Amino acid sequence: MSVLSQLNSGTMYLICGAIVAFVAVVCLVFILRAWKAGKAIGMDVARMKRAMTASATFSVLPSVGILLGVIALSGSLGIPWPWLRLSVIGALHYETQVAQAAAEQLGLQLSGESMTAGGFSTIALLMSVCIMWGMILMTVFGKRYLDKLSGGGKVKARKEGPSFADAAMTAMFVGMVSAYIGSYIGSYVSGAGVFQFRGSWTPLAVAAVAALAMAGFTWLTEKKHLEWLEGFSIAGSMLLGMLTAVLIGG
Amino acid sequence: MTDRMRPEKNVYQDYLRSTHRLGRLVSVITLILLVGAPFVIGAYLGAMPDLGAAARGFLAVGLVWTVSSVAEFLIYTPMLGAGGSYLAFITGNLINMKIPCAMNAREIVDAKNGTAENEIISTLSIATSSLVTILVLAVGVLLLTPLQPVLQSPVLRPAFDQVVPALFGALAYRYYRKDVVLALIPLIIMSALFILVPSLASSTSFMIIPSGALAIGLSWLKFRKAQEGGRA
Repeated sequence: MSVLSQLNSGTMYLICGAIVAFVAVVCLVFILRAWKAGKAIGMDVARMKRAMTASATFSVLPSVGILLGVIALSGSLGIPWPWLRLSVIGALHYETQVAQAAAEQLGLQLSGESMTAGGFSTIALLMSVCIMWGMILMTVFGKRYLDKLSGGGKVKARKEGPSFADAAMTAMFVGMVSAYIGSYIGSYVSGAGVFQFRGSWTPLAVAAVAALAMAGFTWLTEKKHLEWLEGFSIAGSMLLGMLTAVLIGG
Repeated sequence: MTDRMRPEKNVYQDYLRSTHRLGRLVSVITLILLVGAPFVIGAYLGAMPDLGAAARGFLAVGLVWTVSSVAEFLIYTPMLGAGGSYLAFITGNLINMKIPCAMNAREIVDAKNGTAENEIISTLSIATSSLVTILVLAVGVLLLTPLQPVLQSPVLRPAFDQVVPALFGALAYRYYRKDVVLALIPLIIMSALFILVPSLASSTSFMIIPSGALAIGLSWLKFRKAQEGGRA
C-alpha cells in the first residue's frame, strides 16, 4: 500500500473526521449559549436570526474556495488531512507554506510521489505547531486583554494615522515571497550549472500564471465589483497555475 | 442604570465569565487533538514525526507565523469579543472569511463595538460561518473521494508537484502590488544569491529570515522618511 493510499484510508478519515466533528459540536454549543444569552438580555430574536442567515450565505462561496484548497493539497498530503486543516484552524496559504518548509527539512519534495510516512507525520506536526499561537494567546491572555479593553481605557487606544505594524506585516510577507520566487529564478538560471540557463523553468511559469490569474481576480473584484470572487482568488489562481504544469508536462 | 436592566447585566456578566471558561477548555482540548493527531497518525503509518526536522522547520517559518498570530490576537480580539475570538482562533480562515463575515453581520444588525450585542452577534456569526465551512467541506470531500484515482493520475501529477510555486505566484501579486519598489530589492538580492549559490535552493525556507529582515528594514526606512516628511 503506497503512502498516499494510506493517507486516504478509512482510518485517516476517522481520525480527522473525529476532530472536525468535535469542532462542529463546539460551534453548535456556542450558538445555543449565545442565542440563550441574547434572548435573556432582551435582544431581538429577528436580528439574531438575520445575523446568522447573513453569515451562512456569506460563507458558502468562500467555503467552496477553501474546498479547492483541499483539492490542491490532496495530491501530496491525501484528502483527510487537508480536509481537517482547512475545516479547522488553518488557511490555504499558511498550510502549503509550512508543509513545504517541513518537507525541505526532510529533504523531500511536497508531492505524493516522494512522500514518506515519516515525512508526512513530521509535516503534519509542523502544520499543527506553527499555527496554534492564536489559540494559546487567547487561552492565556484573552480574558485579561478583553477585561482591560472594557475597563475604561487601561489599554492604550491605537494611535490615529499610519502604523508601522501594518507595513511590517506586509514587508514580512514580501520577504517570504521573494525568497521563494528568487529560488525559482536561481533554479532556472543556475540549477544545471551556474549561469547555464538549463534548469527547470516550470516553477517560474507556474508562479507567473498564478500571479497573472491573481491580477485577473483582483481586477474583477475591484474594478468590476464582483466581490464574491474574492474568496476564490487564491485557490483559483493556484489551480490555474497548477494547470500550467500539466500543459507543460512537469 | 435602571433596576430593570440590572439583572440583564448580571446575566450578561455570567455569560461572559462562562464563555471564557468554556472557550479556554475547548481551546486546550482542540490544541491537544491537533498536536496529538500527527503522533496518532504516525503510529498508524508506522513512522513517528522527526522532532529535529520539525524544530528546524519551526525556526525557519514558525517564527513568521508566530509574529503574525500575535498581531492577529491584538487586532481582532477586540473586534470579535470573547466567544467570537475563541471560535475564530479554533476554526481559522480569519482574514479571508471569519473577520469579514462577522463585520458584515454586525453591520447588518447595526451592533456597536464593545457592546453585549456585538459579543452575541459575533459569536453567532463566526459559529454559523464555521459550521457552513465544515458542512461544505464535508460534502465536497465525500464527492471528492470517488475522484481519488483521477486526482492521483500521472497526467495530473505535475500539477500537484507545483502547489508551492502556484501559491507564491498568487501571493507575489497580492503583496508586490502594495509596494513594487520594496518588493523588487529583496527579490533581486534573493535571486542573485540563489543564482550564485545554487545549493541554497534546498534551504529556501531558511532564506525567508534574511529576506524578511531586509524587507522589514527597507519598510522601516520608508516609514521613517514618510513620518519626517509629514512633520516638515
